[in-house]
Amino acid sequence: MTQAIVVEGLRKKFGPREVLHGLDFAVDSGTVFGVIGPNGAGKTTTMRCLLDIIRPSAGSISVLGQDPRRAGTALRRRIGYLPGELHLENRTTGRRVLEHFAAISGPVDPRYVNSLADRLDLDLDRQTRKLSKGNKQKLGLLQAFMHKPELLVLDEPTSGLDPLVQQVFHALVREAVEGGATVFLSSHVLSEVQQAADAVAILRDGEIVTVSTVDALRTAAVRQLRFISTGTEAHDVGALLARVPGVANVALRELPADGHTAGTVEATATLSGHVQHLVQELARLNLTDLVLEEPDLEEAVLTLYTGSSQGNDNGHNHSQAIRTEGAHRA
Amino acid sequence: MPRFLPLFTKALTDSWRSTLAWALGLTAAIMLYLPLYPSIGGNSQMQDLINALPPEMTKALNYDQIATGPGYTQATLFGLVGFLLMSMASVGWGAAAVGGDEESGLLELTLAHSVTRVQVVLERALAILVRIAFLSVLVFLLVLVLNGPSELSIDVGHLAGAVLLFAALALLSGTAALCVGALTGRKIYAIAAGAAVAVLGYVFNAVGRQSPDVAWLLNLSPYHWAYGNSPVANGADWGAVAGLLGISAALIMLGAVALQRRDVGV
Repeated sequence: MTQAIVVEGLRKKFGPREVLHGLDFAVDSGTVFGVIGPNGAGKTTTMRCLLDIIRPSAGSISVLGQDPRRAGTALRRRIGYLPGELHLENRTTGRRVLEHFAAISGPVDPRYVNSLADRLDLDLDRQTRKLSKGNKQKLGLLQAFMHKPELLVLDEPTSGLDPLVQQVFHALVREAVEGGATVFLSSHVLSEVQQAADAVAILRDGEIVTVSTVDALRTAAVRQLRFISTGTEAHDVGALLARVPGVANVALRELPADGHTAGTVEATATLSGHVQHLVQELARLNLTDLVLEEPDLEEAVLTLYTGSSQGNDNGHNHSQAIRTEGAHRA
Repeated sequence: MPRFLPLFTKALTDSWRSTLAWALGLTAAIMLYLPLYPSIGGNSQMQDLINALPPEMTKALNYDQIATGPGYTQATLFGLVGFLLMSMASVGWGAAAVGGDEESGLLELTLAHSVTRVQVVLERALAILVRIAFLSVLVFLLVLVLNGPSELSIDVGHLAGAVLLFAALALLSGTAALCVGALTGRKIYAIAAGAAVAVLGYVFNAVGRQSPDVAWLLNLSPYHWAYGNSPVANGADWGAVAGLLGISAALIMLGAVALQRRDVGV
């Protein structure tokens, strides 16, 4: 598999202040790669280096097999870029903004522009200064997608978009990838990335804490478990849960008998890792209710940000894998 | 299809309002000033009044030459009101071309598309040149129209030379602003640089003309290079034309190289 982006030892200094301390990562062609990190972690700086808007102080960058510093205009025609802070001209319409970018980065199929505008529900003939933040962001996305680039570099793409439009955005990303494109996107919130990305790099203070697949993060992350069973004593339910690897924070409560069978137990717990064992064990019980929540990847990542090995009440059982990978930072 | 000189055409179309406004301003100035010549410059009472003014003042304002039509046009239009308006227009355009564009955050997205930075500077500089040329041709035509009715007796060839210097002088302020904007990415520095070229050039000329002791200041004044020999009366100094245009070209190149080498939008 070829790699659309290869970054090695990327450092960037602004004056005496170094904001990127030697990043190493690679993005496989035809995948979606997300970078997550708090504001100021270096996401935008990294993306600007890929576009040759700013120049690395050290390290090497390869974008679509070329050094952006030397490749010139032909390379940037193959890239669609959405800046993190999108600024648009005021006294013009969305259509004219797009026409200008099409003139310098074309060719662009006008029918494709119109279909994108329809899907994003954006009126291209409105004055840009009258557009809301969300609508400006749509225009920014449109100019990044419209020439069907091989690589999309999107800095906080879902910022300001309402949930419906975010779904459209995720669909556009999927279509781009199905068409062979590679997508490199950033967010300060994992939940925005996890839906789109195959792999995730977590960036903190100019260093990559970990690169992981969303699946691995999902496995590592902690789920909330709650169920109600009947016909089994609380003590036995506890023993059963104790046999399942990854289960912690077990709390059991006998529900008052209300004409049902004796021994109605409500159990809550956390689960990290695979669900297979749990499901097998639970199959022995007579369940009347079961809730196994979406894993809270956010929580898993937040522990990495803060650099502490301790999460909240439910989060202390975080993945060993992530913790050891993150440990070299200490 | 990629359009021909897309950044140039965009810069022109984006600025048609301001170009039109400056054109109206110049037209108004010419229409107000030049028709007054028969009652001011050629009037002996007015000449007496000017003679009564302190000579330092008449020299600073170039009013020592307003007794003739070409001298009057030189002093009032090319040397003062027109110079002021053209310099302001040019500095504004020069500062907006790169420094202002970068500061407002727009340049980042333009550069992320398929353009080179040298191309950005050159096409936008060309757009400034074309706008200044447009305004200068307008000035030329208006003066030509008023030449007879206002009894100015200006030689058409000399007028053309003077307008060329008028344009080259304004262009210099604009390219200074463009260059400093490209060097620093700050609009305010760009405006300061462009304004400094215009204002200091004017001041050095005004002071340098006062006495031989400070005449060396004239050598530092682009204003004096352009107007030192009263081109409306005497025709263009071609060395000055070449010099002014040459420095502008050098400033544009310097701006292009500087922008090419630095980080944008930081």
